Amino acid sequence: MSYRPRPDFDQPDAESVQRSRRMLPWMIPLIFLQQGSLIFGHSERLTQIVGTAAWACVSLLMLWIFLGLPMRWLSERDQAIINDERSRMVRGDAASWGIAALILIGCGMMVARLWVQLNAGIAIYGLVNGALIVAVCRYGWLNRSEPDEDE
Amino acid sequence: MNERLGNRLKERRTELGLTQSELADLCLVSRKTINTVENGVFVPSTLLALKLASALGLSVEQLFWIEE
Repeated sequence: MSYRPRPDFDQPDAESVQRSRRMLPWMIPLIFLQQGSLIFGHSERLTQIVGTAAWACVSLLMLWIFLGLPMRWLSERDQAIINDERSRMVRGDAASWGIAALILIGCGMMVARLWVQLNAGIAIYGLVNGALIVAVCRYGWLNRSEPDEDE
Repeated sequence: MNERLGNRLKERRTELGLTQSELADLCLVSRKTINTVENGVFVPSTLLALKLASALGLSVEQLFWIEE
């Protein structure tokens, strides 16, 4: 076990960010389910606006993670670790799974619309969330469990 | 073609008494990256291979080789 002095001990570090990102595959589907019920389960305008804004925030947050945009509030060391080459490889792999899911779901919807009238909102919600959930699950799978030292 | 990147990362790291975390800190990468390179799961870039070799005091050729 090694110790590293942290003058910014009250700030998140690379390890805590990585730990929380490993939770994403469990959290994101639940968040989308909850937001879906808010957006499509209620007819009040305000509820729909709040639900849609919340959904857009979560989706953009996922985009932030997959694009590897800098987290400037972290130290340079933590930013380098979060954005190291293996992390970039994992993000790229997960993003390509997300794009594949987007295309497959889109093709499925195009075929389905020949028989069923699709609601535009539900179609967009399903398309974006389907792709994001696949990408997040792949991301979680590639980042599953921190190995023990020398494992 | 069934080539694989062999390495003596773990052996050398242990010789120097370094943990994976310490080596990761020296190279500014995550411990998981060191772990996956050691296990041959992740093939490092030239840049990381050079950083690892420098941190472990070896040349890249001494640290990595191609296994057929």
